Amino acid sequence: MTSLPQRIDPAQLARLGSLPIKARVIVEGALSGLHRASVHGASVEFAEHKEYSPGDELRHVDWKAYAKLDRYYVKQFEQESQLTVYLVLDASASMAFAGGGLSKIEYGGLCLAALAYLVTQQQDKVGLVTCGDKRIETVVPPRARTSHLHDLLSVLDGVIAKGGTGDESPAAALGRIAELSRRRRSLIVLASDLFDDDDATLKAITQLRAQRHDISVLHVLDPHERSFPYDGLTRFESLENDHKMLVNPAAVRREYLERMEKFLTRCRTTLATAGVDYHLVSTDRGLELTLLDLLVARSRLSPKYARARRTG
Amino acid sequence: MGFLAPLMLVGVAALGVPIAIHLIGRRHAKLVKFAALDFLLATKRRTARRFQLRERVLLAVRAIACAAVAIALAKPYTSCARKGPEVTRGPQAAVLVIDDSFAAGYQIDGVPWMKRATDEARRILTQLGPEAEVAIVRSAEGSDHPTELTRDHLRLRDHLLALEPSARPADTTRALARAAQLLAASSHLRKTVYLVSLAAKTGLRAEDPPWGKDGPSLVIVDTRPPAMPNLAITSLRVDAEPGTGSRGVAFEAEIANFGDAKTSVEVSLTIADRVVARGMVDLPAHEHRTKRFLAALPAGSRASDAWVSLTPDALPVDDRRWIRASLRDQVRVLLVDGDPRTVRHDDELFYLEAALRPGDREDSGTQVRSITAEELAGIEPRARGKAGALDLEEFDVVVLANVAALPVERVNVLATWVRAGGGILVAPGDRVDSADYDRTMLPLLPQSLRDPIDTTWGATADDRDSRALRLVKWESDHPIFAPFSKTAPELADAKFYKISLLGPTTDTADRKVLARFTNGAAALVEASIGTGRSLLFTSTIDRDWNDLPIHPGFLPLVQQAVRHLARKHASFGVADHVVGSSVSLPTSDLKKLEVRGPDNTSATFEGDRIEGRANVRFTRTDHAGIFRVAGTDQAGTTRDREELTFVVNLDPRGSDLTPAPPSALPASGTGGGSSPVDNASRRVELWHSLAAALLLLLLAEGILVQR
Repeated sequence: MTSLPQRIDPAQLARLGSLPIKARVIVEGALSGLHRASVHGASVEFAEHKEYSPGDELRHVDWKAYAKLDRYYVKQFEQESQLTVYLVLDASASMAFAGGGLSKIEYGGLCLAALAYLVTQQQDKVGLVTCGDKRIETVVPPRARTSHLHDLLSVLDGVIAKGGTGDESPAAALGRIAELSRRRRSLIVLASDLFDDDDATLKAITQLRAQRHDISVLHVLDPHERSFPYDGLTRFESLENDHKMLVNPAAVRREYLERMEKFLTRCRTTLATAGVDYHLVSTDRGLELTLLDLLVARSRLSPKYARARRTG
Repeated sequence: MGFLAPLMLVGVAALGVPIAIHLIGRRHAKLVKFAALDFLLATKRRTARRFQLRERVLLAVRAIACAAVAIALAKPYTSCARKGPEVTRGPQAAVLVIDDSFAAGYQIDGVPWMKRATDEARRILTQLGPEAEVAIVRSAEGSDHPTELTRDHLRLRDHLLALEPSARPADTTRALARAAQLLAASSHLRKTVYLVSLAAKTGLRAEDPPWGKDGPSLVIVDTRPPAMPNLAITSLRVDAEPGTGSRGVAFEAEIANFGDAKTSVEVSLTIADRVVARGMVDLPAHEHRTKRFLAALPAGSRASDAWVSLTPDALPVDDRRWIRASLRDQVRVLLVDGDPRTVRHDDELFYLEAALRPGDREDSGTQVRSITAEELAGIEPRARGKAGALDLEEFDVVVLANVAALPVERVNVLATWVRAGGGILVAPGDRVDSADYDRTMLPLLPQSLRDPIDTTWGATADDRDSRALRLVKWESDHPIFAPFSKTAPELADAKFYKISLLGPTTDTADRKVLARFTNGAAALVEASIGTGRSLLFTSTIDRDWNDLPIHPGFLPLVQQAVRHLARKHASFGVADHVVGSSVSLPTSDLKKLEVRGPDNTSATFEGDRIEGRANVRFTRTDHAGIFRVAGTDQAGTTRDREELTFVVNLDPRGSDLTPAPPSALPASGTGGGSSPVDNASRRVELWHSLAAALLLLLLAEGILVQR
């Protein structure tokens, strides 16, 4: 792989303006790296011509048709209107945890926003489902319009700003997608910490995968959750329930880290076995790098992607 | 319990400090809202209890440590009954007299008393303090020089730790005298002797006090258990026992019970590393008994190591006693033929010689020399090297067989020899005239002779046997008749046609008729003459007056008689060396002598130590057991000298652990020390222990914090 683009600090990014701007910054950062990447030049299949209207990209103008007919026609490609991407954001209370930088929900939200921006740019349909608070159902149906992106990002911004509530598992959101997609294969991108009881989310992902959906999982964890850097007598309180614990972190660190490592291994193994594109990301990592990793991984899966597009 | 500085107890309030810190610390614990709390909770399920316990223990340790500081500063003390002597701390001169006799190995609950004694001595050393000048004196007889008075208590401790029971008895009085000498040279005003001893009466001599009125004060450290029963073998001797064969020996072990209760103990005899006999001995309290074992030395050797041992008791070292049993030379018999004949079977000694050396075998145990009565004229008591003279010292037994009465001077020579331990057997015959015997031979006879009677006189050939006398009564318990039953036909069938009668009883000591004829006349009379013995047989030793020589009983009878007469010479192998004594060893023109002890140590005599000396003196008899000697002759050949092997045993005095009466102990002098041990209460300061406990608490706190 060629050298990565200059890193964009997630914390600095968070201080930028609205979510669309942040999303665009991330995408541009990622794509500037992508241009130098080996995945450059991936093609799409021609579908039909349509008459040119202002706003269409000039690069898609069919100059040969213009020469013959003296009218401007624009080439349209099939996937631009066929790919449906569901973005799923775990907005449960555990995602509100921030060890020092961005919270997990902020980080995951930004990743998904950038992805929405990118998908919309490619004129694919993108939808949003969040989970966490059982009382509030946030579902943005998939659309390909540019205005839809604005709506989606507004909703996403609201969810991020709320900061994560409730303890509903992403499994419920994934179930809703299974209903929404009506057996049409979709690309589902889940940003979650996967903290739930009985690995319900992993099971739901496996079931969706069995329905031939393409799934990418951004497993978002805070660096503090992976290194447990606490010291001195500490009272830990759960973000999702009333559990409290007064403990000397040094006494439990080793066992905590062992359990965390087992959890990550279980996630990685389960999802890899199911053929899920799994990315363990830390909230202190550059967002554009995470997005780039996701894109690179998707490009590696492009044959499947193409087949999926053909079969509609 | 009391406190020397009770005001310091105010500091106990510091107990609240760690509790307050603990509670405040809990309240001020950092708060972290954590997403992965489930992982922690799962962890906590395992560690929560341990963590809580650790926190509580830590809190308790810290609280106790704070309180302990205050309590230690308050200097707590308690009172307890005094078990040991009161030891005054400070500048002084003190001597620790410690019993390291072999009795110090007395086992009390499986631990030697010596350990108890050295522990007590070290405790005293600690209590005396570093300013005290202390010396150690060992009280075993012949112990090395004591240590000097010194403040180097570390060295004294090492000395105490290295102490082991010796193999010698205690000589407490001498040790106390040595202690007094050491203290006399000290300039300290306070002079004390601490006696850590079993204080057995055998080690103390009341008539020889170690100091006078101005002597040091004496503190007796009583470490004796209430009772110290002990069994010991106090002596062991071995004698030849010809009655059990040519290699027969009899061991006599004296076993003493120094305890207050009657007991019985198993005694065993071991010869050449093999237990050959066992027996039980009942021992009343404070009595001793003799156990006799009959045994035969192993074939092929003239000497064997042997020991008698008891079932081990609390003091096992004196439950075994060694001896070296050697076969002495054969019984040397001088046969004086009073009626020599040219026809062999008519000779007076024909049957006797055949019986004493059956088959003329070397191992018959008898060395026989025959001479005529005339040759007896040349006999002298000590005629070694004198030409033509017979040396009586070369014989153990003389048999006068039908020898006419000897001249007075010859009789005197023989009588002197008998009184010195010789044995003589006199048998009459036709050449014996009772009147002549009365005149000269009485010093050799147990009883005077009278004229013989012929029981068959006037009898026909058919009546001859029926009128013959027979042996009917004999002392079957006597060694001579030990091989025979009370009615042994091999003796009872013999016919005696003519016997000599005996005159009135003489004044010979221990005269005893050992056998009688059917007519009641004496057949065999024994008497002690000086340390020797005399036997008088009232018939002939050949077939002239009887047919005993052709009966099976003749051979054992004469052999037993000769061995019995020779018994006086058979005492040998007495273990007469005790630990610490010196042993004189003949050099026998050897170039080098090496003595190997039972503890595998060796001492070599060579060069100037042996050249030109007839004897060398071996003094390193520090252990009981068998000491073997190897000698190198002038040709350079080295071999074991069995004949020089000797045995060293414990001094039996040390086995008597009876405590000495108070009067046997020296009076405490005016040395400024404390009085002997009392049972008053004493103050025990506890703050040292508290300080130590505090250190441990702090250590525990540190470990807990690290975990």
